Amino acid sequence: MNFILFNMWEKTWGYKEGLAVCGGLFLTGILLQITIGKINWDLLAFPVNIILLVLYICAILLIHVNARRVYLFRWMSGYPATVTAMIGVVIITMVMGLTRQVQPRQTVDGFEAFLGFSQMLSAWPFVLIFTWLITILGLTLPKRILPFQWKNIPFLLNHLGLFIAVVGAVLGSADMQRLKMTTTVGKAEWRAYDNNQQLLELPLAIELNDFTIDEYPPKLMLIDNETGKALPEGKPVNLLLEDHLEQGKLGDWMIEVKQQIPEAASYSTTDTVKFVTFHSIGSTYAAYVRVTHIQTGEQKEGWISCGSFWVPYKALRLNDKVSLIMPEREPRRFASDITLYTQSGTKLAATIEVNKPLKIEGWKIYQLSYDETKGKWSDISIFELVRDPWLPIVYVGIYMLIAGAIWMFITASKRKEDSI
Amino acid sequence: MNWDHFLLFALISLFFWGSGAIAAWKSNKPYRVYLWTGLGLMTFFAFIAGLWISLERPPMRTMGETRLWYSFFLPLAGLITYSRWKYKWILSFSFILSAVFICINIFKPEIHNKTLMPALQSPWFAPHVIVYMFAYAMLGAAVVMAIYLLWLKKKTIDHKEMELSDNLVYVGLSFMTLGMLFGALWAKEAWGHYWSWDPKETWAAITWIAYLVYIHFRLHQPYVYKKALVIMLVSFISLQMCWYGINYLPSAQGVSVHTYNMK
Repeated sequence: MNFILFNMWEKTWGYKEGLAVCGGLFLTGILLQITIGKINWDLLAFPVNIILLVLYICAILLIHVNARRVYLFRWMSGYPATVTAMIGVVIITMVMGLTRQVQPRQTVDGFEAFLGFSQMLSAWPFVLIFTWLITILGLTLPKRILPFQWKNIPFLLNHLGLFIAVVGAVLGSADMQRLKMTTTVGKAEWRAYDNNQQLLELPLAIELNDFTIDEYPPKLMLIDNETGKALPEGKPVNLLLEDHLEQGKLGDWMIEVKQQIPEAASYSTTDTVKFVTFHSIGSTYAAYVRVTHIQTGEQKEGWISCGSFWVPYKALRLNDKVSLIMPEREPRRFASDITLYTQSGTKLAATIEVNKPLKIEGWKIYQLSYDETKGKWSDISIFELVRDPWLPIVYVGIYMLIAGAIWMFITASKRKEDSI
Repeated sequence: MNWDHFLLFALISLFFWGSGAIAAWKSNKPYRVYLWTGLGLMTFFAFIAGLWISLERPPMRTMGETRLWYSFFLPLAGLITYSRWKYKWILSFSFILSAVFICINIFKPEIHNKTLMPALQSPWFAPHVIVYMFAYAMLGAAVVMAIYLLWLKKKTIDHKEMELSDNLVYVGLSFMTLGMLFGALWAKEAWGHYWSWDPKETWAAITWIAYLVYIHFRLHQPYVYKKALVIMLVSFISLQMCWYGINYLPSAQGVSVHTYNMK
């Protein structure tokens, strides 16, 4: 390799050479993929990632100090290498974006495993080209950091910020724990499953006091009796049954709401189904409606309900073609009321909601799921517990990038005037 | 205020924006340009605000609602560009683009109801979408400039004109970066991880790096204009994929957690 480089010493490398390097990395990646298979990121777990980080930074510094002697190294921190490396990453990521991705832990075989494109994040060609770009990014940094100069700050916010965020995210990925914990009302739980379905014991316990789902008012829709598709096809309409709604229009039909029962149960009479108020587990929403076709005057009336795990749903057939239905209500808020105990003796009451995780001793606890068959009557709540020790490093990078982006916006129109 | 009122507000806004665009061509009194375009922006924003209030949630969930913001930000981006470089044609282009998106909303409305799933109920929602839509508008203006320079302009490309496309891209990219990072911070709160390589995120990364290619190519080869403009066009195409293309992409069907209006 060195021999070739010295031969090319006098030559100026440009975009063609840069693209050739990316192509070479791609082919090398394919060969690695075929011979040793996909990358197992779990191998990077602490302390391997720390060792790799130190080695990587040393490698970048070594390349940097030898840049005067080795043409390749000098070329690596120039524009042609940068631009072509980015083009390489764009292309390989486009392949990823056009290929259906499967979970990294899933086993794939045949042609899929051969190239590894369906698990791109673990595929050698992707990782090599990506590493190439990040290394080139890293190489731009030393001369901007030392000697320190104020005018290099915007450059460093963008470039060092991206470097820190990406390197932190990649090396930290194996140390990140994402666990699933299923809790039942009234019981304390301290065990959770990891991604490999291993049951782990945790230094904290969650006692579920209550799980609630607030729902939006139900809505009414029209469907085609044969296809079951919402009407008008392509741009379906719906009518939200808000409190005290008495009349509304849905397509060509006028809907009059005669009675609404927010908590109802049904019972069958000899010829039909009726709904009555029922305040207990399994109750559902029901409404008695009269529906009139605006043009023909055709009229139907009856009960309609979205049903629950206990009460069957009830549609209203308007004519041979169209039925009126009440789809399942959409959730407005999921919330778990919990008491949390930690090994260090903390006991605290908290509410965990979607978008409002609970942060405690390095863990973030998220509302993940519930017993979907029972819906709002679920007596279990499923949490995701996430621990990511490298998160602060990634966040430093992200905040630097945010500052860099704001700086870029402020100086966008002044930039060129200075340089000309 | 609901979508039934949209036609009225849209027509009035388009009238104002159209008058602003004409004033930019004809008048040597720039205050008219600002006045007309400003009135249009106010009218259109009044509709957005009214819809926001009546929906009891930010109107940003469905594609139709994001088009609404795009139609609003295009003339705004046009006006900012006009105020800086006094290009007569920029407001006409932003007017036409905005009109296209308004027409889509008139002729192909989508389900617009009040519901907003819990994952979207977050203080990050509005900044994430607004910042992205503004970025898209700026990059849309930049691509209009690129098309003009590549195929419509008969004379050779002027250095000043390339400066304008650079500046539009810089502003667009800085907002896109903010939108992406706000999204990452939000994702950490909502989904437990800041980056999951969801199809939308994958295409957002592609788009972001593609615009970085443009910027670095321009820094390296400041006098190679056409290649740079072609890079910008490719970047804008990947942006389309990121914005709505993934809704139709076979590899993204049923996988993306970013498709809130597709049921």
